[in-house]
Amino acid sequence: MEGDQDTSGFTLVTRKPCFGLPTACPNCLPAYIYLKLAQLPFQLAFNSTFPDSEELPYFESGTYVAYNNEDGGVIEKLEKDGIVNLDSQLQSLPDYLSLKALIVSWLEEALTYEIWVGTEGVCASKIYYSDLPWVIGKVLFYKQTYLTKNRLGLTKENAEQREKLIYKRASEAYEALSTRLGEQKFLFEDRPSSLDAFFLSHMLFTIQVLPETSVLRRKLLEHGNLVRYAERLKSEFLEESSSSPSPPLHSFPSSFSGKGSKPKSKPKTEKSEEEKKFKKRARFFLAAQFLAVVIYVSVMGGGSSDEVEYEDDD
Amino acid sequence: PRTRNPTLSCFPPCPMANPTENLDPNPPTREPEDELEEPSGDKRELEEEEEDEEDTVSNAYRTKTESLFRRMRSAPVPVRVHDVIVKGNSKTKDHIIEAEVEAVIREANTLQELLEASRVANSNLRALDIFDSVNITLDSGPPELPGTTNVVIEVVESKHPLTGQIGAYTRAEAKSSSVEASLKYKNFFGYGDIWDGSMVYGLDSSAEVGLGMYLPRLKGLPTPFSSRLYLSTQDWLKFSSYKERSLGLSLGLLSSKYHELVYTVAWRSLIDPSRLASESIRRQLGHSLLSALKYTFKYDQRDSYLRPTSGYAFSSTSQIGGLAPDSRSLRFFKQEIDLRCAVPLGFYRAALNFGVSGGVSFPWGSGYRNRASSVPERFFLGGNSSPVCSLSGPSALWGFSTRGLGPNEARRKGDVERDFVGGDAAVTAFADLSFDLPVRWLRERGVHGHVFACAGNTAKLTENEFRNFSAPKFMETFRTSVGAGIVLPVSLFRMEINYCHIVKKQEHDRAKSGFFLTFSA
Repeated sequence: MEGDQDTSGFTLVTRKPCFGLPTACPNCLPAYIYLKLAQLPFQLAFNSTFPDSEELPYFESGTYVAYNNEDGGVIEKLEKDGIVNLDSQLQSLPDYLSLKALIVSWLEEALTYEIWVGTEGVCASKIYYSDLPWVIGKVLFYKQTYLTKNRLGLTKENAEQREKLIYKRASEAYEALSTRLGEQKFLFEDRPSSLDAFFLSHMLFTIQVLPETSVLRRKLLEHGNLVRYAERLKSEFLEESSSSPSPPLHSFPSSFSGKGSKPKSKPKTEKSEEEKKFKKRARFFLAAQFLAVVIYVSVMGGGSSDEVEYEDDD
Repeated sequence: PRTRNPTLSCFPPCPMANPTENLDPNPPTREPEDELEEPSGDKRELEEEEEDEEDTVSNAYRTKTESLFRRMRSAPVPVRVHDVIVKGNSKTKDHIIEAEVEAVIREANTLQELLEASRVANSNLRALDIFDSVNITLDSGPPELPGTTNVVIEVVESKHPLTGQIGAYTRAEAKSSSVEASLKYKNFFGYGDIWDGSMVYGLDSSAEVGLGMYLPRLKGLPTPFSSRLYLSTQDWLKFSSYKERSLGLSLGLLSSKYHELVYTVAWRSLIDPSRLASESIRRQLGHSLLSALKYTFKYDQRDSYLRPTSGYAFSSTSQIGGLAPDSRSLRFFKQEIDLRCAVPLGFYRAALNFGVSGGVSFPWGSGYRNRASSVPERFFLGGNSSPVCSLSGPSALWGFSTRGLGPNEARRKGDVERDFVGGDAAVTAFADLSFDLPVRWLRERGVHGHVFACAGNTAKLTENEFRNFSAPKFMETFRTSVGAGIVLPVSLFRMEINYCHIVKKQEHDRAKSGFFLTFSA
């Protein structure tokens, strides 16, 4: 196994990058950050045609593959298979499990709610369905929204209550994590762990992807130490290879709005360019159809007109 | 109520009313003349010969008939069609019936031509498959217009428009035999429309559910129009580690003897529930939109489909995908060519069949050179079908198992099998000598023997591999096999029991010398 890895290198396959993040999918980002925290060199590859796959992100090296829907997740599988393990000896700590449960249940639920219901899926369309043909993208989007609402237990009657509960839990989680973190660099023992990966991913997504009107984002920004923690880790581990570092997270709201507007205006111009291209192509397509019909009618119309003349001779 | 002379009959009020033009296009077929073909096939004139009480009238008719026959034998008898009258259709629209008949009938200028045209029109109407019986009668035209005739079409619509059938088939495009159950409802709207719902289950665990509609005449289109909405799954887990699911609509825009044009739009998704796929298959998993136009030209002039002994056949299929303004749909171009030739050798009904098939598939659009082609559009060689009959591109090779040769990749760690990922260009060729067996019992049942040799190869061209492609290397890596066997024609398909010997194969190919059973339809 090691031999394979050495010769063929590591590749992480995730969903496509967006909103200034190396991968904009909140399920894929933790794995990316984890590998960066572990300082393992790897390539990044993208799959943008399978938004409803449970296997993404997956890690491959030669013929070895670690899928996300095995052994509890790709990070857990990599730890189990001995490829990279940041959590050794941390599992025994009492706080570890409870914090992990907090992050992967309450915060994950809050983020899922915010993406698909709270912001009405505006970001989700761009992250998951922008590379799929329009019809397929729309059908999958509605299907996923419906499934998410079911998973979160939302119905027409209890929607408001559930929303309040979800946001309340998120607030409490942020409070607990903020208290736990203080001004430390990492959540545990001054070394990175998988919890840092999960939490940093949650924070980056909430701050950079969710719109400014998002309730969850507002709640997160109330905790200055968390924002500083995120910015520190981001600049140290995620941008060491990138040429142009992004503006610091902590100088919000201007930079956030700046960061927010940068990706917003970029997607806007991109969208309008794409739209123009799409419309132009649609016009060409229709023109070609029309021309084909005209040619056909004129060619076949010549035949039928002969018959008509014959009948008139009666 | 049946007319007395169902084939060519007439009850003109006054048969002698046209003294100037002694043309009464109503030779009764009580004495069926050989040169008079009967337009209606299923009515026999035997019953007329038993009607004794009309002897006197029949004598008069006989005289008239004989004189008409004499005229017809000597020279063409000019006649013009005045009107086409349709009777018996309560549900079917008149114009549907007239459309099948008008073209041929109006062109006829003589009685002989008219009789032939009536026969053709009759078979056209039967081919619509919505009538229980069809009866075409030539009546004399209005008395003031001499030399004219009215064509009367009497139809009896199907009393049981709903039919069902279950059958076992081996379709040319299917990779194995399948069982199909279908229900057909005929002529629901009166436009000759045939609706069918079918379920097909293949022995390679592929399944398809579909709803089809067939219209003999759609405004403006010269040929029948057919459409089919289908949901299908195909399981390639054993060979290429993926499963293909497709929800699509295919429209048959043009369908004539030699040409066929079909447009298909489908939502296709590739999944891998086994989680064992190799790298390039993993990269292809996901959803895609197929919007493709396929044109097929087929010219098959061989004497038999199941045991060709003379003639040749040529087929060309071109497919272009990505016909949608959305640039994210699957963009590819695929071309397949088949050539078959059968040469009779004169002894023991022996014949030499040889053929060559080739195909190429390539993506188009921005970055097409680096892009990988879509796996279902690639060529896979091998399988349990015989290349002698099928005209569906390079696919069959005796001795190699389904998807058993070509570019392949290692699967996920833990599985020793390899995935066959298919090639972008493929060529197959074969030569087959078939002959009757010396045992008469077998000969009578059409069982015959054959000796064959075949070769084939496929290569990858996409993702810049075409730069490394060289014809000598391609020829060097050609797989070949030889063998002999017995062919048993079983009504609709051809079964072969062969012994194949693999002469040349490459590493990892799934092929071994031994006995094989193949089915082709």
